Amino acid sequence: MFIEIIDVIISGLINGSVYALMAVGLTLIYGVSKAFNFAYGSFYSLGGYIAFLLFSIPFFNNYFVVLCLAAPVLLIFGFFIEKLLVAPLRKRDDWEVKVMMITLGLALFLDNSYQVVFGARMKSLPSMLEGNFEMGEFILSYQDVMIFIFSIGGILLFRWFLNNTRTGMSVRAVAQNPAGAQIVGIPKDFVFAATFAISTVMVGMGGILLAQKYFITPAGGWDILVKAWVITAFGGMGSIKGGLYAAFIVGMLEAFVGWYFGMTWTLIALFAVLLTTLAVRPQGLMGKWG
Amino acid sequence: MIKVHDLNAYYDDFHVLKNVSLNVGKGEVVVMLGPNGHGKSTVLKSICGLVEKVTGNIIYDGENITGLGSEKLVNKGITYIAENRELFPEMTVLENLKLGAYSQSARPHERENLEKVFTLFPRLADRQKQLASTMSGGEARMLAIARGLMSNADFLAIDEPSLGLQPNLRDEVARIIKEINTQGITVLVVEQNIPQITELADKIYVLEEGMISFQGSKEEALGNDHLKEIFLGM
Repeated sequence: MFIEIIDVIISGLINGSVYALMAVGLTLIYGVSKAFNFAYGSFYSLGGYIAFLLFSIPFFNNYFVVLCLAAPVLLIFGFFIEKLLVAPLRKRDDWEVKVMMITLGLALFLDNSYQVVFGARMKSLPSMLEGNFEMGEFILSYQDVMIFIFSIGGILLFRWFLNNTRTGMSVRAVAQNPAGAQIVGIPKDFVFAATFAISTVMVGMGGILLAQKYFITPAGGWDILVKAWVITAFGGMGSIKGGLYAAFIVGMLEAFVGWYFGMTWTLIALFAVLLTTLAVRPQGLMGKWG
Repeated sequence: MIKVHDLNAYYDDFHVLKNVSLNVGKGEVVVMLGPNGHGKSTVLKSICGLVEKVTGNIIYDGENITGLGSEKLVNKGITYIAENRELFPEMTVLENLKLGAYSQSARPHERENLEKVFTLFPRLADRQKQLASTMSGGEARMLAIARGLMSNADFLAIDEPSLGLQPNLRDEVARIIKEINTQGITVLVVEQNIPQITELADKIYVLEEGMISFQGSKEEALGNDHLKEIFLGM
């Protein structure tokens, strides 16, 4: 019993860490540009498929090379998608709704493309590190440890970027005061595209990390989109700190509900908690009104 | 330095500025007066590339800059300091100042300008780590001016620096504008609550209902009965 609970907590922590990496990306786009990206889940699958492709190439088939190549590919992909699809809409009336529609279209297009190119069957990635740490009945796989380290590393890197680079600071500036950002001469359009690109890398990396455990499927991103969205709303729209807390709460909740009631109950439990939270605090855990 | 000719500005369909022409010479302090809501801020914002819909001509050092966005203009040395400050609330004083030096042309001068700004505003030097949102109105005003100076501007458009300021800090604002001007920066300022600033003026413009209703030296302005009305706010 005791060991089981420890296992559940660890599984919650590990999933929570990847959710945090991905939800922070979604929160970031919302916080900076007030746009909602429906294709976010498809970018998750894209990360997985890019890694799958790279692993099929001889000499490229190790995680170091895969991550180093996938990150820039995702970054460039995200940047151009924003420039081509989202940016032209921004000048129109009701652009938020139009962005939702076009990213929804993009999601369907991407998911069907995956099916055409890779087929409908599940794909998997090799484990980052084989083996287990064992202590009596307690077993911890090295793969889980690696997933945790890379997710937390990704979040810390992201935090460093926001606080210490000029582009990162301009991203925060636009999120906090768009008018002020314009006054000091920050090019808003570039910041929007950069934010979109960075969030694409974050969710794509999440896709690569989780593909070792949960497989890659053409429509697998929808579940992630829903979770990232729940976490973003739960943590407070646009609040990165709130998103971090919410991600770990959701990870834990999922692990405990799945263990005690069965996996089918996890989404129901998530929405129950989200709705209760929003009924009491409509702004989410850390969000601000207005 | 800045020549504005027949400037018209619109917010959506609302025609705010009607054929405004003005001239700011290099090294001058030019003061703009006029009733609230008649478009003074819009003149400054139009020059600084912060109004989307403008027609007419704005010439800066011989170059036509009409319609250029703020990111290009800040880089050319034209900076706006907002009446409502527009700081970054969840950032420290130092971060706000560093973002003031965001433009390409300001980056190489970041360090020297930071030193200059801290000499001018010693209080900001003591509070580098404080969040902008926790500052008092007066301090936030100083930070807004300081952030503008960080852009290494040759031309500053300062919008109602006295807004939300305690009366005893008004002398301080006048002193700072004088100091900024002595350092060679050209200043166009909208301000009518600080007589000391009017005294600095090389030229005065009055804007009423989106049109220039008076231009001249401060002596001419003081001799004008209609203007006295505005000065006194009657």
